[in-house]
Amino acid sequence: MYDWPDGYLDESVQFSEQTDQDPYDVAIVGAGVVGCALAYKLSQYRLRVLLLDKNFDVGEATSKGNSAIVHTGFDAAQGTLESQLVTQASRQWPEMAQKLKIPYEECGALLLALDEEQHNQLEKIHAKAINNGVDDVRLLSADATRQLEANIPQGVLGGLLIPRESIADPFATSIAFAEVALANGVDILLGAEIVEIEDADKPSKKLVTARNDRIVTRIIVNVAGLGSRKLADLYGGGEFDINPRRGQFLIFDKYSRSAIKRILLPIPTAQTKGVLVIPTIFGNLIAGPTAEDFELDEEGVTDTSIDKLQSLLSGASRLFPALVDQPVIGAFSGVRCNCSQGSYLIRSNDGHQGILTVTGIRSTGFTSSPSLADYLVGELHDKCELELENDPKAVDSRPESSWPGWWKRPFDNDGLIKDSPDYGRIICFCENISRGEIAQHLDSPLKPRTLDAIKRRTRAQMGRCQGFDCQITIAEIISEHCGIPLNKITKCGPGSEIVYEATTAVALEAKE
Amino acid sequence: MSPTTHFNVVIIGAGPAGIGAAIALSKRGIKSIALVERSDKIGGIPALYKVKKGGVRTFIRWSRGGIPVFGEEYARWLSLQLAKTEAQVWLQSQVIEIEAKEKKIILVNPDEGRMTLTADAIIMACGAREETAAERGWLMGSRPMRVFFTKNLLQLIDGNGLLPMRNPVIIGSDLIAYAAAAKLKAAGSENAVMVDNRHSPQCSFFERIYFRRWSNPKFRGIAAKSVEVVGSGTASGIRLSKENEFVPCDGIVVCGELIPNSELALLGNLKVDLPTRKPIVAQGFQLSESGWFAAGNMLGGFHGAEWCYFNGQRVARAVNKFLSQSL
Repeated sequence: MYDWPDGYLDESVQFSEQTDQDPYDVAIVGAGVVGCALAYKLSQYRLRVLLLDKNFDVGEATSKGNSAIVHTGFDAAQGTLESQLVTQASRQWPEMAQKLKIPYEECGALLLALDEEQHNQLEKIHAKAINNGVDDVRLLSADATRQLEANIPQGVLGGLLIPRESIADPFATSIAFAEVALANGVDILLGAEIVEIEDADKPSKKLVTARNDRIVTRIIVNVAGLGSRKLADLYGGGEFDINPRRGQFLIFDKYSRSAIKRILLPIPTAQTKGVLVIPTIFGNLIAGPTAEDFELDEEGVTDTSIDKLQSLLSGASRLFPALVDQPVIGAFSGVRCNCSQGSYLIRSNDGHQGILTVTGIRSTGFTSSPSLADYLVGELHDKCELELENDPKAVDSRPESSWPGWWKRPFDNDGLIKDSPDYGRIICFCENISRGEIAQHLDSPLKPRTLDAIKRRTRAQMGRCQGFDCQITIAEIISEHCGIPLNKITKCGPGSEIVYEATTAVALEAKE
Repeated sequence: MSPTTHFNVVIIGAGPAGIGAAIALSKRGIKSIALVERSDKIGGIPALYKVKKGGVRTFIRWSRGGIPVFGEEYARWLSLQLAKTEAQVWLQSQVIEIEAKEKKIILVNPDEGRMTLTADAIIMACGAREETAAERGWLMGSRPMRVFFTKNLLQLIDGNGLLPMRNPVIIGSDLIAYAAAAKLKAAGSENAVMVDNRHSPQCSFFERIYFRRWSNPKFRGIAAKSVEVVGSGTASGIRLSKENEFVPCDGIVVCGELIPNSELALLGNLKVDLPTRKPIVAQGFQLSESGWFAAGNMLGGFHGAEWCYFNGQRVARAVNKFLSQSL
């Protein structure tokens, strides 16, 4: 079962008819990368699971704006849960990416020491990495560093190579988790904001949504990210404060990508990890992030700002001087879900039996999502009395056809265009994305219907022209393919309609 | 593997410049011409102007015989001229690979899949697009729905009969910006607020007078050192950096400031100036590899359809000269 209101889906389910006799075992509130990963892991057992989110796609909020680095955890604070989970996950990623059809590349990272003071720290960072179980790092001389990357500053004094630091498709990750969960019978409800929780202290708890669905569940998992505090208030969860920390990034055109092979890292200072230059799996370069603290619910937390981006560029060009001359095609902001009481704050039976609060999952959440989900399954079993019985029919991978077209090009497959000419009908000229790929994703399990959802799945509109050529064409394709009137097409769900209203511009002409 | 087809001249882009070049080459007796176009119709940007009301003046120039033609009519005239030639037109054909030295392009289209074309000379007439917010460097803030380019606006209003906004803010102040304001007003919106980081509008006084017929946008000049887009679902306004002034709106059009479509030149490792993206051309519109030429708005600058058409013809003469010399 899968639904979102006003989504023009054929299937639609009324949750208001659900009774106490038939509760979900687990309701996961928040379909970010952590919520989706948990749904995926729980779907391997015989359980009734519901994954819900107030947005109209999975991975729509915090999980969509990040550096897309799969960390090894070489520089993580030692002995923390975060460090342990990141190190674990980093070993799981290669196989998981293959199974889930998530584009993934082990490009490696290079930490650069640009002055004497920084050079003195390399040794310490190297030791820390070894201590964290990342034993394949290598200290490099100045010459060896320059040999690896031709376009770094000539004056580099040395470097640390971290071979397994990797990059992956952050959008496909949440989607892949959710698709497999859905295939295994997890219910997904999008566009559902929780406004009230009834009977939080009873075995059958009720989640009330803004459109008055009443969802009955035995266990609630709060993985609502920036919304986790508000949700915790509904069930009287313990004290914690969320301080969103904005990270802005600049996106450079693909022609810049060949100049850099690895992620370039500066030596971190006490305050910040600094500005990175990162190749993306999509073939761009990005530079970032900034670190700007916001109040919870403060406006503009996902905005970009000109002065910060300028200082970001000058920071990044210390690692890659030629960057200042590279064409910027876009900027975006991500928000880290920072928690004042510490990262990876996990509380079982928070307030009441059967409620699991998971918050403070910062930027490493993308990397750690698989191991964190395993950890949460353990917590649910150990502390929330969740019985785990393996479901032998459950799948743990996506079909081969799930590889996105930008990763495995449909036009490289000779027979495909002959059978389905739409794969040869290129719609997004910057990224070479065809009508066939767009239609394929519209028919994919999560039935994306918004421009942003299609953008994150296909990359159409994500290229250098930022939708100049294809935005309206894609809206027309969604409209045609799904039978939704063009004026009802949205960017990210109701409230973001493409036009203000239908008008008769053509009729006006006749009067003239 | 796909078969290779050889032509005397391959032209990439069937807008006014590409068509102008094809017609001129054909008149000079060159019969083997392939015109490759990535969209599903020829005519380029003018073909998007389907409704006269609020149309752009550049496309209403006096063509031969002094008849004022307009947008789509101009495109129709171009296609009539083109039909008289023997040029082969490949629509929905996207170039995905270029080997500049071999003068070879590989394209993808729905009918043939992958196709390889070689030629004695290749003309790139790929047009231009409007600068994105990030490329402008002074337009920041949130990224809601209803922040359009002028091209999107035309597709919505002229193509689909949909008015995207009632109270527009226009970013930019060139001819395209005034045309966008006119197009919106003619379709039923209010007068736009026009914002640019300059003292006075870029569009000339006389051209502004022309657009008065439809709309009279309120120009806000240097007040906007930087502009922040405001809005969560859809655009709800802009905030000007100076005095932190808020201008409400229900849609934004990011207009003009053309930037050449030089992607294919870069794909073929032909020299392009970055970050302006202008292809580097020698005398006779030659690109950095012998036998490659550029025409129309791809050369940079800001030109109307007819300039591009005539420029295409000039480039064709240069190509003709190149071909006769290399024989």
